[in-house]
Amino acid sequence: MSRAFSLMLLFARISVQNFAAYRADFFLRGIMSLVQLAAELIVVDTIFHNTETLAGWRLPHMLVLVGVYRMVAGGIRIYIVPNMRRVLEDIREGTLDFVLLKPVNSQLLVSIREFVFWRMTDLIYGGTAAAIGASMLAQDIGVKQIATFVFMLAAGFAIIYSVWLALATVGFWFIRVQNIEMVFWNVFEAGRFPVMIYPYWVQWSLTFLVPLAFITTFPAGTLLADPATGVPAAAPYYAAGIAVVSVLLSSWFWRFGLKHYSGASA
Amino acid sequence: MAQIEVEHLGKTFKVPEREAGLVASIGSLFRRRYRDVRAVDDINFTVDAGEIVGFLGPNGAGKTTTLKMLSGLLHPTAGEARVLGHTPWKREADYLRRISMLMGQRSQLQWDLPAIDSFYMHGAVYDIPKADYQQTLDELVELLAIGPVLKKQVRTLSLGERMKCEICASLLHRPAVLFLDEPTIGVDVEMQARIRSFIGQYNRNHGATIILTSHYMADVTALCKRIIVIDQGQLLFDGSLAALSQKMAPFKVIKIDLDLKCDDYPFAEIGEVISCDDRKVELKVPKAEAAAATAKLLTDLSVLDLTIEDPPIEDVIKQVFGGRTQRDDAEATETAGASA
Amino acid sequence: MSHLLRAFPAFLRVSIQAMLQYRGEILLWCMWGIVNPTVLYVMWSAATRGAPDGKIAGLDQNGFAVYYFFLLIVGHLTAAWDVYNMSYLVRKGQLSPLLLRPILPMWESLSSNLAYKITTLMFAAPMWLIFILITQPSFQTEWWQVGLGTIALLLGAALNYMLCYTVALVAFWTTKLDAVGEIYFGLGMLLGGRMAPVDALPPYLQIASELLPFKWMFAFPVEVLAGMRDDVNSVTRGLLIQAVWVVLVVMVFRMGWHLAVKRYSAVSG
Repeated sequence: MSRAFSLMLLFARISVQNFAAYRADFFLRGIMSLVQLAAELIVVDTIFHNTETLAGWRLPHMLVLVGVYRMVAGGIRIYIVPNMRRVLEDIREGTLDFVLLKPVNSQLLVSIREFVFWRMTDLIYGGTAAAIGASMLAQDIGVKQIATFVFMLAAGFAIIYSVWLALATVGFWFIRVQNIEMVFWNVFEAGRFPVMIYPYWVQWSLTFLVPLAFITTFPAGTLLADPATGVPAAAPYYAAGIAVVSVLLSSWFWRFGLKHYSGASA
Repeated sequence: MAQIEVEHLGKTFKVPEREAGLVASIGSLFRRRYRDVRAVDDINFTVDAGEIVGFLGPNGAGKTTTLKMLSGLLHPTAGEARVLGHTPWKREADYLRRISMLMGQRSQLQWDLPAIDSFYMHGAVYDIPKADYQQTLDELVELLAIGPVLKKQVRTLSLGERMKCEICASLLHRPAVLFLDEPTIGVDVEMQARIRSFIGQYNRNHGATIILTSHYMADVTALCKRIIVIDQGQLLFDGSLAALSQKMAPFKVIKIDLDLKCDDYPFAEIGEVISCDDRKVELKVPKAEAAAATAKLLTDLSVLDLTIEDPPIEDVIKQVFGGRTQRDDAEATETAGASA
Repeated sequence: MSHLLRAFPAFLRVSIQAMLQYRGEILLWCMWGIVNPTVLYVMWSAATRGAPDGKIAGLDQNGFAVYYFFLLIVGHLTAAWDVYNMSYLVRKGQLSPLLLRPILPMWESLSSNLAYKITTLMFAAPMWLIFILITQPSFQTEWWQVGLGTIALLLGAALNYMLCYTVALVAFWTTKLDAVGEIYFGLGMLLGGRMAPVDALPPYLQIASELLPFKWMFAFPVEVLAGMRDDVNSVTRGLLIQAVWVVLVVMVFRMGWHLAVKRYSAVSG
């Protein structure tokens, strides 16, 4: 475990070191991530230009949701997507062999090789937007609420990681899946809005089948602790359960995919 | 002591089949047919510690598949293998720590980072103690003369420089067994020679066991005392280079310089005419008939000069893979002889 | 021209076969064009419930169902992605072999564009039907609107394709094309009537939408097909504006391509 952590730190450190080489890109990228936030705020503005409430969520609520959405999207872009993109590339080019030759757990190694440092801006922008939204509601937000919120974000991150690991594993069968990422972002986009806008059966699916609700809506809801948002009080317990199950399932699927890759299942 | 033992090793792939054309490709959307391809078929050999063995064979012969099974990347569909006492495809960390595989056509270095960063990560992943790491790195950097390029982004390196860095990375953990798949592919002749001599040196200094595949005969003739020839998944030959010439090419090349031009002389009745250029003629003659043929040529013609040589190893190999309809070892030899 | 007529069908054939080769991928691509409009439809129909008279920009829940149904179709058939492809081609040096051919590389890209639209149709069309089955919209489109709307759709597709390819030429000058691509798609989303019907946009976005070509790619064909434009004159005027945009972009492309190739041959040798 400590070995895993030290490897993780090492890869991150090297990425940060090399970040200096791309300084020129930093400003462009910082601006791009600000533009993305602006686009999301414009969407919120457009909605509330036309209506007062969206399934019980009002403007400040939506600001928190947009902030959470941006933070989670940032987290995904910092760690998950770049690593999984590289796995897919490695599978396609045959360089995954080099990972398998290493005397380290392959799932660990493929999950920590990339670290997109500059995407931290998303965390800052998103955090700011969420904080502004929360303060507009002018109610006390206690330590317990913030702790639950952080826990929910972490659980959401674990769930997303599992989903991505499973998607990357699909690459063992369908080699040319570079567009999997586009599909992911499109599904993820459904998380920009509270799941309460969807018909009941879609809500149910987004909670338990594709647990998108746990990634954005529920964390935002736990921070707000406002019954108007319709987020169940038991959400953290569900989140913990689903996170554990999805991490275990995806890890099993990865090992299954590896067996297929090396021809052990044939 | 045998470090690599391979018994009845086999690998069969299922390959989807599809006919050309639009209708067929729509059809393949819904149901695919598969064909079994035997990439490796019942191969046996052992390699002792410190040996360098060359794998020869045409593209698709099964060389890379065999190496991948030995390095644990592929599960065989038949047979057994033990390397350093481990079953490779169990992929135990203890095993992986002691081997290395270099694939000339693929890069294990991080494209966007300087090579030194990739090395550093490699050191961490293999859990090499700091002092050992530094010592090995210094040694390899010096031997390979890559000091000046260590801090350059890998993407900016020339193919030769990159290949040397790849070699450095795969040796950092001082593997006892080394699988080299086309280590000199694409680099220029001078660089090939340098890489070759480095591999030889590493083998001598560290007693590492090496299996090498290459398209370049020069790599094999320079490094390997022992050759294994694989074709269509089967082992055709296992022995020394000299024996390979002996066994696979039981013919000689007779070169003659003539006094006069003899266009109407029936050279073809004596042996296969390789070239007939003005007054210089080259004939390929079965070894057993070489003496008789020489005598006949000397009596019939006015010969200025005559030499009898072994054919170049490249030709031998070509000959072997040309006569690939016969699979059996002995038969293959026979074919090589008969067509000469 | 006759050369092109011979080459293009061949390109198209090969592109279609290449697309068909990868069944899993086709499904994924297809989902891509379906999820986004569907999510936005759901969001807007939820928003109508919170609006005072149950209507937003003159559309009730049914109106949004009709609007986003046609947006599904228009979005699929007008898709273009060269702004992402081009930087890859330039960076990997894959453009050189294409430039050696006696035919504009754009034709090959266009053939794979069409191949994508044709091959994915057999997955997309059932999705459109499912959308109708679930949302149960009642259509008010008249036949002349179907006719002119189809023309508007073709012009919209041509406009998006040409502009996307033209913007992609930026790849010859900078490697930062991804950012350009994101802005291009983002503008199409916000101003092209995809995120919201143009009439529902706040005033500052409406002005931008009037000035830029994006609403003529997506929003206009959708509005005609959805029967939201009753006036024949306004529709024909719209078609004319579309045509003017297409011509304008083609002219810019011709100049841009010339410069780009010159630049490419100067830089990469």
